[in-house]
Amino acid sequence: MNAISIQNITKTYKNVTALDNVSFSFEFGKIYGFLGRNGAGKSTLINIIANRIFTDKGEVFVDGLSVKENMEVHEKIFCMSEEDLYETNLKIKDQFKWINRFYDSFDTEKAFEIAEKFNLNTNMKFKALSKGYQSIFKLTVALALRVPYVIFDEPVLGLDANHRELFYNLLLKEYENEERTFIIATHLIEEVANIIEEVVLLDKGKVLLQEDVATLLEKGYSISGLAKDVESYCEDKNVIGYDELGGLKIAYILGAKSAVPQGSNLQISAMNLQKLFVKLTEKGGN
Amino acid sequence: MKNLKSVIQYECMTSFKYIWVFYAIQYACVGLIYILTGLVMGTYEDMGVSALEMNSIVFVSILGVLGFKEDFKMLIQNGFTRKYIFMATLSLFCFISGIMALVDTVVGNVIHYVSSNYSSMYGAIYGYGNLFMNWLWLFLLYVLVCSLLYLGILIINKVGKKVSIYLGVCLSGIVLLIVALFRYVFSAEVVADMLEFLMKAMGFMTDGTINYLFPALSLLFIVIVLGIGSYVIIRRTELN
Repeated sequence: MNAISIQNITKTYKNVTALDNVSFSFEFGKIYGFLGRNGAGKSTLINIIANRIFTDKGEVFVDGLSVKENMEVHEKIFCMSEEDLYETNLKIKDQFKWINRFYDSFDTEKAFEIAEKFNLNTNMKFKALSKGYQSIFKLTVALALRVPYVIFDEPVLGLDANHRELFYNLLLKEYENEERTFIIATHLIEEVANIIEEVVLLDKGKVLLQEDVATLLEKGYSISGLAKDVESYCEDKNVIGYDELGGLKIAYILGAKSAVPQGSNLQISAMNLQKLFVKLTEKGGN
Repeated sequence: MKNLKSVIQYECMTSFKYIWVFYAIQYACVGLIYILTGLVMGTYEDMGVSALEMNSIVFVSILGVLGFKEDFKMLIQNGFTRKYIFMATLSLFCFISGIMALVDTVVGNVIHYVSSNYSSMYGAIYGYGNLFMNWLWLFLLYVLVCSLLYLGILIINKVGKKVSIYLGVCLSGIVLLIVALFRYVFSAEVVADMLEFLMKAMGFMTDGTINYLFPALSLLFIVIVLGIGSYVIIRRTELN
């Protein structure tokens, strides 16, 4: 199967379990939202996929090939890192030149085109760029690489609204032009909600859910009204969280909708992805 | 193989210009000090410096440290395995050491023939008869220094700052222990045998002749040991 297959990954740092027996797949030809709170284990997993760190247990495969110390996956996957791992003293145009030598699938012309769209000065050294433009450089590289799997770790960090919009448009255009897998790890859930097809939610080192976004939004809803009416309605439901305001209560539910009892003041509303994410992950922390 | 070639090219080409920056600064400083001292003393006679290769050793030491710190991040970001990174780094050490050994051999010998006050490091130990062995010895010495520092920084990165300090203390203790062993434990005969072995390893034979190949082989042996150590550690190194 063409996919990034994560199999029984466990990773611990001293006494902290960053990933606890995690298993799931990123299939080829989809745009994924890879979500989770700070410390959920997203970056740890991305670093394992990118062969930057090792697992304590388990393995990651890309199209059946192990990613651990394997140059055969070099032209298959690219991970744009949140951290600054590039040589800071090189000019952007020289970075492009070297990346073009490293990868057969790097399109230098496209990289310069994208850089121009973002007004990225390719004559500047990486270290001289602002945080936002450093992110732009990194996502430019990722977008100009025609590898089957591209992972973005916080791609829009430090970008203004215009540049974020431009990035999402370019990403969709690339996806239309050539089928591949884009995985976006981000905290800006609502911004990517309309782009991603499937969501993987990581919480405390475990996969909380993996679901198609449309199905997830269909299953998730909220019900509001007087506290006792809401509680009565929720008795046999999978409630993922509550909000309370005076005598009013809002319950967030995952599952099939059932009609509200006649004569009650209960109101059913749709739930957006961000609210769903917050409610699913808020237990055990704020 | 294309990937390996590209990563070796990256390592060598991005460091190449710094060699000439280093030499420009070194000779400018030496020239300036020479002129200023001459002006102050009122004469240029009996003035000279020796063993400029020491500066090159400092330079390659820095290279050994940076060989890990900067390039590991850049290359791992670009999807290279640790094996490739190690091979590229070793190629960089050989490339830089080869060029610098060549420059230092030529400059050292030329200055020595112009002014007998100047002695190159190799010339002072083994004389000036063999230019190729001079280059080979310097080359291996520079690679050794690079490899030693590279191994050191890999160990520090692996075990962390605190454990590195303890290791440093232990190392100092071992040095003191060795000195004590030589002085108080080993018999005069054992010490003499060891010294003879070390002298032979440096090429000085008991009959008073010099074997020029032995020091090169000794340095090569140490380089291989350091290289194996570095490879074992880098294969287990994670991005911090």
